Amino acid sequence: MMLPGDLIGLSLHNLLLHKIRSVLTSLGVIFGVGSVIAMLAISEGAKQKALEQLQALGIDKILIYSKKPPQEGSASNDQSMVERYGLVEKDLQNVKKMDNIENVTAMRNSRLKVLRGLTSLDTKLVGTDIGFQKESNSKITRGRWLAPSDYENDAQVCVVGKDAKRKLFSLGTTDVVGKIIKVEGRSFKIVGEIENDIGASFPELDSPNDMILVPSKTLQSLTKNYSFIMNRRTSSITLVEYDLLLAKVRDTFYIDDTSKRITSYLSKAHGTKQDWGVLVPLDLLKQREATQNIFTIVMGSIAGISLIVGGIGIMNIMLASVFERRKEIGTRRALGAQKSDILFQFLIETVFLTSLGGVLGILTGIGISKVITIYADMPAVYSTWSIVASLAIAGSVGVIFGTYPAWKAAQQNPIEVLRAE
Amino acid sequence: MSQNVEVAKPHSDALVRLIDLQKTYYAGPLAVPVLKGLNFEVKRGEFVGIIGTSGSGKSTLLNILGMLDVPTGGQYILEDIEVEKLTDSELATIRNKKIGFIFQSFNLFPHLTVEQNIEVPMVYGRVNAKERRARAIELAQQVKLGHRLGHRPTQLSGGECQRVAVARALSNYPAFLLADEPTGNLDEKTSGEVMKMFHGLHDTGVTIIMVTHNPALEAHFDQVIRLRDGRIESIVAGGTER
Repeated sequence: MMLPGDLIGLSLHNLLLHKIRSVLTSLGVIFGVGSVIAMLAISEGAKQKALEQLQALGIDKILIYSKKPPQEGSASNDQSMVERYGLVEKDLQNVKKMDNIENVTAMRNSRLKVLRGLTSLDTKLVGTDIGFQKESNSKITRGRWLAPSDYENDAQVCVVGKDAKRKLFSLGTTDVVGKIIKVEGRSFKIVGEIENDIGASFPELDSPNDMILVPSKTLQSLTKNYSFIMNRRTSSITLVEYDLLLAKVRDTFYIDDTSKRITSYLSKAHGTKQDWGVLVPLDLLKQREATQNIFTIVMGSIAGISLIVGGIGIMNIMLASVFERRKEIGTRRALGAQKSDILFQFLIETVFLTSLGGVLGILTGIGISKVITIYADMPAVYSTWSIVASLAIAGSVGVIFGTYPAWKAAQQNPIEVLRAE
Repeated sequence: MSQNVEVAKPHSDALVRLIDLQKTYYAGPLAVPVLKGLNFEVKRGEFVGIIGTSGSGKSTLLNILGMLDVPTGGQYILEDIEVEKLTDSELATIRNKKIGFIFQSFNLFPHLTVEQNIEVPMVYGRVNAKERRARAIELAQQVKLGHRLGHRPTQLSGGECQRVAVARALSNYPAFLLADEPTGNLDEKTSGEVMKMFHGLHDTGVTIIMVTHNPALEAHFDQVIRLRDGRIESIVAGGTER
């Protein structure tokens, strides 16, 4: 066998003789690898985005929330009624006592109508425990968060979320700390602004950015647990003690057990009334991953098919090349080339060809994912391993589809091919 | 053995010995004998011509002498090596080390320079790049192409191409040069020059076996072996023409 350096030099030399042909030949691999890279980048980006969103909710959290039970029978005929549903103080206390629960932050939506002029806003006035800012990973952008003294004194203060502020005040208003807002006759002094930039969104309550947060005790003293909802034909009183319990677990390993225990407790306590829900962000994450895996399998198959097609194309060209270079092969054999020299010459040539396709494919893939990021707002994340893996795949395509033409080249009978003109 | 020469006996200065060499091709049940028992030997430093018309078996003999093919009977002994016992890989190694091939149509690599063409057998002989280069330059000068090292075969004349091919054939210090109609593609004048070069090599002690159909070349050889229908018609000592 010839020296490895000479073998590599010879193969490269032959590829460079036909630059355009080499690039055209590796097109299949270029697009195959390109789609692998783009797929992995987009899928990794989506995964990280989902992870961030769910981390915003908290992977160490169990969200227990109240929901309006489905209307039964001909309830729609009831013109006036008291609707009582959802989580109550007893539920809160029982959940707090459970194993593996570190703390529980309770939230209540006042259901007060927040108006700007005559326009009703979808901003919610929410009574909350002091721990909410920390547990929801919200940032204080101005002023301060609710203080323990606000709770002791039933202070009529509030903290506004970023979007709530924008909706309440005219455009361009920056500092709203110290201003007073009125909600259905009740006044609250703004003491701070918060922003949740990691996209936390809670069932029934949505984003902290759209909340006006007041101390739970203040809300309690102002409205008890009642919310009046009136429209032209009906008036109803809604009685909900807690809309959301944000339970933080000590050990996420047992989060499933804990959520099951909560679920079974609530089913027992609330009987047939379907007025509650339990949500585990970690489960959502797992579901998302499962969906992601399907996406990866589909895209992976497409990439795989294009690599196979590309590989077959390369095999075809290499077979043609073997035929075209019969005389060269014969001469080399006559001058002392071993079969293995010829075999490796052609094999390395193919592997170079597909690796070149791999490199160009990686660049193509990065390009494709950049375009997708711009037009579809899907973040792309490139990992080192995906690039290494793509190169390895491209190289393997070369080995798989280059072996037969190379073997064919090595099997050429020098006597016959020397006679060929 | 109905030949008018005695069977070759082991001889101290015999480089190549053929003993009752036979080659038969099989086309299905049909056996086609091409070489029907050849006996001759080539001494070290001899300039031997093998002459025959087409169909005489000279191409087959050339392939066997060049170790591209193996005999189906008899023996071919090169130095002390019995060819029929060798594997494909060993044959390749012997082609590389012991035989200097010269083809009728030169068979140079068109994309390589003169120097790189001369280096090819050394590449397969695992000679390192530095030594290869030095040897290639030395050989190019020997065939008077020292000024053409960076040229490609397409930029050379037919005679120059054949000189490159000779330099290439000599690169691994072979036991003998095996030339297949080396002047077949050349005009008369250039042929004369190429033959002159072969004589020059012969004078320095290089063994040359030349296969040709051209009886006009007979006068050049020390020994002329005439083939006819797969048999040796005659072996005569020639007078070397200059």
